[in-house]
Amino acid sequence: MNCARIVRSALVLAVLVVTGGCASSEQWSDWRSHSTHFASDRHMGFSMRNNMDGTNPKVTRVDMDSAPRESWWGKVITVQPDQIFQN
Amino acid sequence: MVRWVAGALFVLAVGVAAAPAPAAPPAPAEAVREKLIPLERYSTPKGQALARAHQLRLYKFSEYLWGCLPWLDVQKHSIGFQRPKGDPGDDRYFSTWILIPQAENPQFAAWPQTRRMSAMFSRYGVDLLRRMGGVHDVLSDSNVHGFSLVLSWLKPGTWRPGVQPVNESLAVFVDKATGIDYLERRIPNGDFARRIRVVGFDGQTELGPQALDIWDDDFAATFKIPNYEPPDGVTC
Repeated sequence: MNCARIVRSALVLAVLVVTGGCASSEQWSDWRSHSTHFASDRHMGFSMRNNMDGTNPKVTRVDMDSAPRESWWGKVITVQPDQIFQN
Repeated sequence: MVRWVAGALFVLAVGVAAAPAPAAPPAPAEAVREKLIPLERYSTPKGQALARAHQLRLYKFSEYLWGCLPWLDVQKHSIGFQRPKGDPGDDRYFSTWILIPQAENPQFAAWPQTRRMSAMFSRYGVDLLRRMGGVHDVLSDSNVHGFSLVLSWLKPGTWRPGVQPVNESLAVFVDKATGIDYLERRIPNGDFARRIRVVGFDGQTELGPQALDIWDDDFAATFKIPNYEPPDGVTC
């Protein structure tokens, strides 16, 4: 009797913890309409660290590097180092 | 047996619920290293010796800039010990070149170019100088003559379809005594501005010496990205 109660309590706790992060039917629908859920492994890592409602948006430098910064700076005419310095 | 299963499930459930959030990943070595001037680029024994002696400290400084100023970019191969073009001797300046992502802004665009240079140096240059001044073991090396800072940002009006984007840039050389006096507030902004050497560039066109008007601006020292986590191992 006592064992059965412990097993039942542990199962309930495990189910609550595991299902706490599950998607709603609308989110499942969104997911089914795309071939992959995450755009990249960085996107996946970012999503896993954050709450769905954005209340805890942890941002790391690597996340910021995934932004299109490189193309922003691409092909810009800039002074060359040898116009300023000599080695 | 039942107790073992129950115990395992309980531990799993509590473990999942109580697991701490993982730390932000460390700075990627390649992104940090590529900002340093490669050893083989130095053409004099003095430059090579400085770079070799402070290699690890420069790496840590690059890592610090990468992790603590994520809204800026550092120019590739720019952190090291440069000497000004045309200087006859081999005075070596502790150098860093930053790229500032200045968005199109009507007020900024309306300012004369010299005013934009003054604003950028006041906002970003002074802060960078302060951070470079914190690298004490480099600055205490008697072979380091001073600081060299280059700031580049997008020239207003050049970031739209059909227009060639151009950066405005500012190269600043500060002798060590002047830099330290200024950082320790022994000389005011005006005196500091008169004692530093500044050259402006519009794209690749040299504009010659510039006289900056420097004022107090604490934006770069106080700006924070909400909920930003520095890389593991970097203290900002």
